Amino acid sequence: MTLFHFGNCFALAYFPYFITYKCSGLSEYNAFWRCVQAGATYLFVQLCKMLFLATFFPTWEGGAGVYDFVGEFMKATVDLADLLGLHLVMSRNAGKGEYKIMVAAMGWSTAELVMSRCIPLWVGARGIEFDWKYIQMSFDSNISLVHYIAMAAVVWMFTRYDLPKSFRLPVTVLLGLCVYKAFLME
Amino acid sequence: MFEEASEVFDNMFKSSFPLTFIVFIPAVLILVSPLPAEAAHEFTVYRMQQYDLQGQPYGTRNAILNTEARTVEAEVLSRRCVIMRLVDFSYERYQKALRQSAGAVVIILPKNMSTMPQDIVQQFMELEPEMLATETIVPVYFALEDDELLSIYTQTLTSSSSQGSSSAAEVLIHTATANGFQMVTSGAQSKAVSDWAITSLEGRLAGTGGEDLPTIVLVAHYDSFGVAPWLSYGADSNGSGVSMLLELARLFSRLYTYKRTHAGYNLLFFVSGGGKFNYQGTKRWLEDNLDHTDSSLLQDNVAFVLCLDTLGNGDSLHLHVSKPPKEGTAQYALLKELETVASNQYPEVKFSMVHKKINLADDTLAWEHERFGIRRLPAFTLSHLNSHREVQRSSIMDVRPHVDLRKLSRNTKLIAESLARVIYNLTEKGAPGDLQIFTEQMQMQEEQLSSVVDWLTAQPRAAQLVDKDSSVVSTLEYHLGRYLKDVRRHYVKADKRDPEFVFYDQLKQTMNAYRVKPAIFDLLLAFCIAAYLGVIYLSIQVCIDTTSLAHLVPWKFWKHIRFHWF
Repeated sequence: MTLFHFGNCFALAYFPYFITYKCSGLSEYNAFWRCVQAGATYLFVQLCKMLFLATFFPTWEGGAGVYDFVGEFMKATVDLADLLGLHLVMSRNAGKGEYKIMVAAMGWSTAELVMSRCIPLWVGARGIEFDWKYIQMSFDSNISLVHYIAMAAVVWMFTRYDLPKSFRLPVTVLLGLCVYKAFLME
Repeated sequence: MFEEASEVFDNMFKSSFPLTFIVFIPAVLILVSPLPAEAAHEFTVYRMQQYDLQGQPYGTRNAILNTEARTVEAEVLSRRCVIMRLVDFSYERYQKALRQSAGAVVIILPKNMSTMPQDIVQQFMELEPEMLATETIVPVYFALEDDELLSIYTQTLTSSSSQGSSSAAEVLIHTATANGFQMVTSGAQSKAVSDWAITSLEGRLAGTGGEDLPTIVLVAHYDSFGVAPWLSYGADSNGSGVSMLLELARLFSRLYTYKRTHAGYNLLFFVSGGGKFNYQGTKRWLEDNLDHTDSSLLQDNVAFVLCLDTLGNGDSLHLHVSKPPKEGTAQYALLKELETVASNQYPEVKFSMVHKKINLADDTLAWEHERFGIRRLPAFTLSHLNSHREVQRSSIMDVRPHVDLRKLSRNTKLIAESLARVIYNLTEKGAPGDLQIFTEQMQMQEEQLSSVVDWLTAQPRAAQLVDKDSSVVSTLEYHLGRYLKDVRRHYVKADKRDPEFVFYDQLKQTMNAYRVKPAIFDLLLAFCIAAYLGVIYLSIQVCIDTTSLAHLVPWKFWKHIRFHWF
């Protein structure tokens, strides 16, 4: 029943996106193509990041145990490009704030889901061997959906010029957390 | 969303055919592509023997398996792979597995056999011929234990023994948490090997003093036997015999180099293959030498043939004969010399003669000398074993620690002294019983004996594994060539129409153990995921309802004027 298991993981990963799309009212706005455009922007941004990382950061040869703080910090800073990409998508979409956020976040996270989780699921979950990590991966994609929605919302809030001053600091801190999340986890 | 998506697909269908082809064919190909899978554990397994001897099949007939693993305690064993450890192995359990039509049996052996207690080793040795005697269609494999295999075994054990347990809730929890294992072998089905050549080697030392000298033949078979060919190292049987033969060859070739000690006997040394399969090598060699050639050392004056079989341990020596030697023959002389040397120089050795008639109605012959006896050549076999039915002769437990080097070298010296006394006729010339010939420069070289035994037991020497290009044969040939003249190979191939022996392949496989979950688990998971999705849907609906209530008016406003924006 391994194809069945793949179906399970697929459902666990994709259906929340589908539900979110349906229920947030985006379908009423015919936003399908806009989401796809957001996804294309995601691809482009990832490509630029990869090229940048490959060109400017040589592989660090050193002891296996020591964590190269500075190098990894620099690499995490490149993830700022993610924020820029989100901002770009949102600025290109005219419309209400919620709509922009949702479109950008949906397109972005769907593209990430397709690119980074589809192939491992296909190859791994269909095999005879069972591993909990596929369920984990699918669940992880749900969490990253929420994460990207939050990130897009924070970016949008950051760019609003009519934001009260008191909100500036928390917003900036949240933005910083978003970018350096992976770095801080280490 | 679906309307737009369906629009896209419609366009694709309506447009040119190649476009749809390009999109769909890769999708279909990916869908049906075979999966390279990673296993929880990959390990080498060795299959039980499979051979036909004189038309009679022995051993397991099957090689492939793709079944779920269970241990013997489980209730349902049919079409499952039964895993057993050597410590828990018993014939009843094995029979139980076979009776319930198990799919396969895998027996886990400890890495180091010598850590096993003696009674378990002995019990297993006695079970080996019984396992082989019954022809099983079920593949039986042996694996050497390591940590991962042991953990797989313990997990299977806990899940198997709790199978009969009670309530549905427990079963559900059990399916979610337990790990089943699927055992898969990667090879093909076993088939008969055609044209397998069993190699034997012969070499000689010619005597001095005219034509028509009497010949003494020394024989030892070099192959080994056990319940699994790749695990049969045959230390005592017959690695000890071969190393003794090489040492005797060295000693006598030294004696024969000097004119003063060059005796009037031809010495013919024969290292035979296929010995455990009813002495095929010897049989064909005899046929070739006696029937198909005009002149051979074996046809003329043969004094006697001495076969060496299992001499690496024990404090007794038995001379097995099929006919008690008559007085005045060289055979009788050797018997007497052996008694003399044993009683005078090695009192701890109990020497005796064992008389057993050749029984042609048996499936296999008992000792190697019987082959010569059938052709009316005077022959006997020396062994520390009392009977040919001893299980030590054909066991995988016969590894290097079974050979006691001191006893092997003592036996070698004993035999060398007796042979020398016969060849040089020392008793008639009045030499005392405790005269030692092989001393000082002619000393037995224990290190040589030890290194030959070590080398022989370093690899499995089953007859199915040693072909004519094997390193065992070529190294033996080289060693014989250092001491003897006219070293020749002799090949035996099974007859095409009525083969005496048939070997099968696929004796060593790689088995993969995949972690699997039972089928109920997938259904359970689907149910849980459906419940989870339902909860998310409901919660989003609730959120949207509560927020949309606040923006009720602007929402509707936006709906009306949206076509102005897009």
